[in-house]
Amino acid sequence: MAQTLLMTKAMPLGDMVFIIVAFLLLMVILKNVAYGPLTKVLDQRADKINKDLDEAEQKNQDAASLVEQRQKELSDSKNQASQMITVAKKSAKEQSDALIQAANTQVAGMRQSAQEDAAQMKDDAMNTAKKDVADLSVTIASKLIQKELSADDQRALIDAYLAELGQQ
Amino acid sequence: MDEPTSTFSLLGLTFTWTTVISTLLAMTVVVLLAVFLTRKVAIRPSRGQNVIEYVLDFVRGILGDQLPNNLARQFGLYSFTLFLFLVVSNEMGLLLQVKTASDVTLIKSPTADPLIAFSLAIMSLMLAHATGVKTLGLGGYLKNMFLKPYAAMFPLNVVEQVTNFLTLALRLFGNIFAGELMLNLLASMAFSLNGFGWIIALPLEMAWQAFSLLIGGIQAYVFVMLTAVFTAQLSGEE
Repeated sequence: MAQTLLMTKAMPLGDMVFIIVAFLLLMVILKNVAYGPLTKVLDQRADKINKDLDEAEQKNQDAASLVEQRQKELSDSKNQASQMITVAKKSAKEQSDALIQAANTQVAGMRQSAQEDAAQMKDDAMNTAKKDVADLSVTIASKLIQKELSADDQRALIDAYLAELGQQ
Repeated sequence: MDEPTSTFSLLGLTFTWTTVISTLLAMTVVVLLAVFLTRKVAIRPSRGQNVIEYVLDFVRGILGDQLPNNLARQFGLYSFTLFLFLVVSNEMGLLLQVKTASDVTLIKSPTADPLIAFSLAIMSLMLAHATGVKTLGLGGYLKNMFLKPYAAMFPLNVVEQVTNFLTLALRLFGNIFAGELMLNLLASMAFSLNGFGWIIALPLEMAWQAFSLLIGGIQAYVFVMLTAVFTAQLSGEE
């Protein structure tokens, strides 16, 4: 019993030193094997997540500004299109007005020349009729009175008579 | 406690074979586990890496609850090693206990040995005190330890420091030692009662092993947490 007591008294220091030294050694090994690489990877992961989040935010902003730009372009082109339509309508109207005007002018010209032609033809017809009536009258008169009158005298007589008629 | 032991001497110090072998075995298991789980460390973790990352996260969580950031980072490696070693040590005796023919124990849970529990407690408290001195300076450290919240508390504070040390060591040792004692008693019961003892002993042993697994994990957690708590107290962080 005394022997065991002595032994237990002698034991602690060696075992304690052994445990603590072994533990420190274990710490060194774990640092190299597990703790070091793990903390490094955890830090890298945290960095990566942060970076990815920042990037995503940036991309979101880019997309938003792109949408805005597209919207603006779209409304610009709409405005442009409606402007073009307005211009086209206006020019078409001008053109059709001009065409109608030209047609009107032409129609008026044609009507006038037709009237003139008609008047001319009426005059001609009247003249021819006058002449024919005169000749006919002379022929009838010469037949009636059986007297040879100078054709020129008769004509003058008829003309005077006709002029009188025209005045009535 | 009166078990026969086998010792050897080196450089004038006496070593116990049980301590040396059990501790080395536990540490070997820890190293193998760590190497196996961190074979391929990558940003996208594999299954093994997930396990050890969870352990690291768990330990960091314990520290983060008690200590300011810079101290928590300094204690990361120590607490991580301590936790792994304690878990393996606490559970080891549940699976493996080896005795020689002359009844000398060669392998059991290292933490079922009071000496090992005390050594670990001394190591943890030395670290905690050293951190206190480093953080507050020697005068501030002494004042913080003994004269808080007011000077009249001095005697109680002295007692508290002693009990801190004792409870830290004895809680660990007591739990694991009692667990193994019960296992051994149940095992010896299995061979009694004309050879029919195992009918009762087997389910009891299984239940007790399951309970001891839980206790072993909890004690590892408590030891690491108390180390952090003492460190926080001694460096004036409360």
